[in-house]
Amino acid sequence: MPRKASMREYILRRVIYAIFIAWGVFTLTFFLLRIGPSSPADKYLATLVAKGENVEELIAAVEARQGLDKPLYIQYLDYINSLLHGDWGWSFSTSMPVMELIKIHWKYSFQLILLSMLFAVFLGILIGVYSAVKQYTKADYIATFFSFIGISIPNFWLGIMLILVFSVKLGVFKTYYDTSLPMFSLANLKALVLPVITLGTGSMAAYTRYVRASTLENLRKDFVRTARAKGLPDRVVIGKHVLRNAMLPVVTIIMFDLSGVVFGGAYLTEIIFGIPGLGQISFNAIFADDYGVVVAVTLIGALVTLFFNLITDIAYTYLDPRIRYE
Amino acid sequence: MRLSRRRFLRLCAKAGALAMVGSLGCLQKETVPSTEKPAIPQVKGTFIEGTSAGDAETLNWIFAADQASFSYVGYTMDGLIAYDNDLNIVLRWLAKPIEVSDDGLVYTLTLRDDLYWTGGKQVTAEDFVYTYKNLMFADWMPFNYKDDYREDVDGKREFVEVRAVNKTTYQFIRQTVDPEFLYTITDFWAYPKHIVKKYEGDLKAFTQAEELNNLSYTGNLGPYRFVEWVRNDKFVLERNPDYYLGKETGAPYFEKYIVKILGTPAARHAALEAGDITSTVIDPLQVKKFKEMEHIKVYTNPTASYTMLLWNLRNNGWEGFKNKRIRQALAMSISKDALIQSIYLGFADPAFSFIPKPSPWYVEEGLSMYGVGGLYDKEKASEILAEEGYEQEGGRILDKNGEPLKLTIITNSGNKVRESICFLVKQELSDIGIDVELKFLPWATELNQYLRNKVPGSDQPPAFNNGPDAVSEKPWDLLVIGFSTDPLAPSGSSTFFSSEGGLNIEGYFNPEVDSLFQKVKTREALDEAERRRIYGELSRLLSEELPGDFLAFPASNVGFQKNVMGIEPGISMGYNYHEWFFA
Repeated sequence: MPRKASMREYILRRVIYAIFIAWGVFTLTFFLLRIGPSSPADKYLATLVAKGENVEELIAAVEARQGLDKPLYIQYLDYINSLLHGDWGWSFSTSMPVMELIKIHWKYSFQLILLSMLFAVFLGILIGVYSAVKQYTKADYIATFFSFIGISIPNFWLGIMLILVFSVKLGVFKTYYDTSLPMFSLANLKALVLPVITLGTGSMAAYTRYVRASTLENLRKDFVRTARAKGLPDRVVIGKHVLRNAMLPVVTIIMFDLSGVVFGGAYLTEIIFGIPGLGQISFNAIFADDYGVVVAVTLIGALVTLFFNLITDIAYTYLDPRIRYE
Repeated sequence: MRLSRRRFLRLCAKAGALAMVGSLGCLQKETVPSTEKPAIPQVKGTFIEGTSAGDAETLNWIFAADQASFSYVGYTMDGLIAYDNDLNIVLRWLAKPIEVSDDGLVYTLTLRDDLYWTGGKQVTAEDFVYTYKNLMFADWMPFNYKDDYREDVDGKREFVEVRAVNKTTYQFIRQTVDPEFLYTITDFWAYPKHIVKKYEGDLKAFTQAEELNNLSYTGNLGPYRFVEWVRNDKFVLERNPDYYLGKETGAPYFEKYIVKILGTPAARHAALEAGDITSTVIDPLQVKKFKEMEHIKVYTNPTASYTMLLWNLRNNGWEGFKNKRIRQALAMSISKDALIQSIYLGFADPAFSFIPKPSPWYVEEGLSMYGVGGLYDKEKASEILAEEGYEQEGGRILDKNGEPLKLTIITNSGNKVRESICFLVKQELSDIGIDVELKFLPWATELNQYLRNKVPGSDQPPAFNNGPDAVSEKPWDLLVIGFSTDPLAPSGSSTFFSSEGGLNIEGYFNPEVDSLFQKVKTREALDEAERRRIYGELSRLLSEELPGDFLAFPASNVGFQKNVMGIEPGISMGYNYHEWFFA
């Protein structure tokens, strides 16, 4: 069977699987949320108890408003029906339609994660390859030392330190992200410098280690010796032959990190820099028992992960032509 | 059970940094910044208030249950009244003070005649009456605070009557006397009847109505107008040039007002220090540092919230707590000075009853001040325990079975102050030979498994007070918790300490206390001197009876950039925030 046709079939199969997985994720999330001991009114309890309010009446009012007083199967069928009609529901903790909420906030997470990934991937590969090529030199030791530091530093600590030094003491950057800046502007890019470093440093350091190890492994392979014996310059041997092979295991990790855009992988960085991304939205929704948002974020998260897995599989075929999907 | 959250917000100030604080002053008052207010200050700049107390949930205020939502709406609509730093009523939408009939049953409110909704329609008494009768009290509307407007009539809970007298005057008519109802009836705003009528009866449509969710109807009713709300990021307002209080004064004086959500206290502190925000609440540990900064001014405001150590007086708590002398001995062993200095870093007042000092009903005379001065005495405490049959052996108090006494203290996890208090209590009680085990629990777990109770074997739904025989699912002995008092209407605290109190978690039942709380709601109590006497007696009784150990009224600290002028620190800092300006 020609390669293109089998690839098309493979993708089709994966899409059908994705529909079933999405339904499973939705159903599981829906019921797990509903059978849990918490209620959307829980978040008010501390304040209400402190002020002596009529707690039981308020819980009933909150649940009635959100339709939680109906039987569970009715809630489930209503929800499925709404979803099939393109209605993702109303977010009671933010007072807006769920999908509108996600549309607005997705971009803040996406730009942050995309830039931090570029930062991490570019520097990670560069330093990793250099470190491997210069194995056991001073440069390698320095790169190894700093990559271990990068992996070890908690990003919330790094973020606060960066703010203290570059914002409070030196006044180079604002202490928080300003959402009124146009997305495609230098000012926005500048505003994202510290968050990107905060979020990207850990990944960058990890990629450095992966790339170094993978490059070292490939440097010892026969095809590298052959390439060198043919008289190819190091630039070509490393750039064309070694790097392409060394990237295979790294691609999986990068794609997995990218899917974090929906799972709220940037939550801490968003909190520190006041970026209203999906991380914050989903985290708050979980604590607020905002079921509509939690279900939507989980569902989209599952779909994005499936999508990136598919992309990873496709990327493999280009990075390693020996791989086939039948 | 009608502590008014809206009134709290007004007291705690509309300027949201303050709204998150609670600011009722009994600590030393500070002076107003020296720069004199110009005849008419210049309109300029953007005031940015940093908060990490969480974003609002809705601008459709009838559904609100969180402070931030009420606070956000409050920027665009003043409300009927405000309270100044001496807790006196300052008229806002009302044209004159509320009139109360001699029999205490009829409350008459008269609106200003220059209040307009967007589009120019006048705000009328009918708007208010419609909001109460057709929305707040309606069966289809899950309004969270319906009970505030109900009274007991012939054994039934019924809504009070509301009626319009003329275009600007409306009345509440009660069948029973409650002198503190005066403070409830100014709690909420009104919706424009001509806009919301079309949504009547349709909960989904009312919830999602665009004009109600973007406050586009607020006309000239508040100093600022809604511009934008980016969830978990910022709430942006612009100056309202038509503001009814600004006709002659030109107020407000900021071009924009922004509430900026900053996720952590560290982020708030850094932003204030760097000048990226104008104001924020400052944590006690940081106050000294900020006070030393030339560009920052810090105001310290006491609050009406208090921290309490409750004993479990129910049947699954230590039986010793049922003995008043034992309770007094334990309170005598816990130093309030140490607690205030080491945990609140000095930013708190000791508490001896549920009424805070700035309340007009606070009476200090005769209070039993356990935990300070001569009533902080561990030796005496040990003597009392011995006299009551709890002897020490090898430095440990033995319970009635001869086993070393071990108590369990609980509080909600994540609240560092309360957790620290638990450690301090453990330390203090270990000095008199009582071992204390700590348990920090998630709120939902604490409330559902430890605080809600029912009579064993009954089919009662669990509640916070199911009577004297009810016990919680899991046992506990000591609980650190925070309560609030409405300083103008403290009788709301009956919910914590009276037999029928819905939040009488601890299981304290005392007919004398019940009777005093009931007396506050009688015709005699319309006389303020009599009400003060009743509250004095109630405070004295509770300070001696100790249904729990009243620990402290914590203060709050708010930092401002020094160029903000017009701030009046005190009991309700921020009540005049529309008059603040940049120097």
